Amino acid sequence: MGYAASEPGTTAVAPALAIKILIAGGFGVGKTTMVGTISEIRPLHTEELLSERGVGVDDLSGVESKTTTTVALDFGRITIRDGLWLYLFGTPGQDRFWFMWDELALGALGAVVLADTRRLQECFPAVDYFEQRGIPFVVAVNCFDGARRYEPAKVRRALGLSETTPIVLCDVRRRDSVKEVLTTLVTYAVEGARPPAGRR
Amino acid sequence: MTGEDPGPLIRLYGLTGGRARPQGETFDLVAIVVTVAGSHEFADLIPEHRAVLSLCRRPTPVADVAAHLRLPLNITRVILGDLRREGLVTIERPRPVAQTIDERIYREVLHGLRSL
Repeated sequence: MGYAASEPGTTAVAPALAIKILIAGGFGVGKTTMVGTISEIRPLHTEELLSERGVGVDDLSGVESKTTTTVALDFGRITIRDGLWLYLFGTPGQDRFWFMWDELALGALGAVVLADTRRLQECFPAVDYFEQRGIPFVVAVNCFDGARRYEPAKVRRALGLSETTPIVLCDVRRRDSVKEVLTTLVTYAVEGARPPAGRR
Repeated sequence: MTGEDPGPLIRLYGLTGGRARPQGETFDLVAIVVTVAGSHEFADLIPEHRAVLSLCRRPTPVADVAAHLRLPLNITRVILGDLRREGLVTIERPRPVAQTIDERIYREVLHGLRSL
C-alpha cells in the first residue's frame, strides 16, 4: 500500500506506528492490573459518554436532560522506540459495553483473553468474539493466590480452544509474566499472519 | 462510573457544537496525529485546539491526545476532525495491521518487549 510511506507534511523518516493489543476477559479478572504492570505510564484513563441505554451518544444536544453514564477505558503504552509503540487497551468488562469492542478490535494486532480458573465461563464471550472475527488471541490464565492450578490442557478443553491457540499461565502482577504473555501473543499473531511460503 | 452532574456535559457540548461524531473519514484510536508545520502559531484558537497542536508536533496517537486533554475519546475525535478539516493536523489513515508489521518491526517489538 502506497500510503504506508510517511505522510506528506511530516519530517519523520519512518512512519510512526502504534500497534494495538486488547486485554479482554470478565469483570474484575485483572485486566487493569495487567496493563498497569507492564505500561511505562500509569494506565491512562479516558471515558466514553453513553446514553442510559448503554449506547454510544450520537448527538449531545439535549444530553444534559438525560441520564448518562461514562464507561472507563484504561490503556497503557509501551514505547519500543521513538515512533513505535504498543498500546494495551483493557476492554470494558460488562456485557452492555460490547458495542465498544468492534471499534477497539478494528486493526488490532491481537488480544489477550484473561481467564480466572474460578470462573472460567466469564471469558467465553471474549473467546467467541475473537474467534468469530478471526482476531488472533492467547488465553492467559491468571493464577491468583489460592486459585486452583489448572492444567493448560484442561483449560483448553473447557474453553473449546483449537490446538494452536496458546495458553499461558501468568501472574498479572509480575512484569516478567506479563512480558511472556505479550511476546507469546505477538509471535502467534505475526507468525500466523504470514503466508505459508514454505514449511516452517 | 456514573455521572449525574450535567456541568461537564454542557461544557463538552460547547466544545463540539453538540456533535459526537467527527467529520470526514473515520480514524482509529491509535491513528497518528501530526500537527501541520506552522499551524500552532494560529492565535485565535480555543485552548483545547492549541493543546492538540502543541502536543502533536510530535506524532501522537489519538488515545494519547484524549488522555492528555482529559476528554472522552468521542469528544477528542470531534475536535481532531475539526482540526483536520481546517488543515491544521493530519491523521494517518487506518491501515490493516498485518500490512504494517514487517519482519523488521516484528523483531523490534519482540526485542523491545524482552528488554523491558
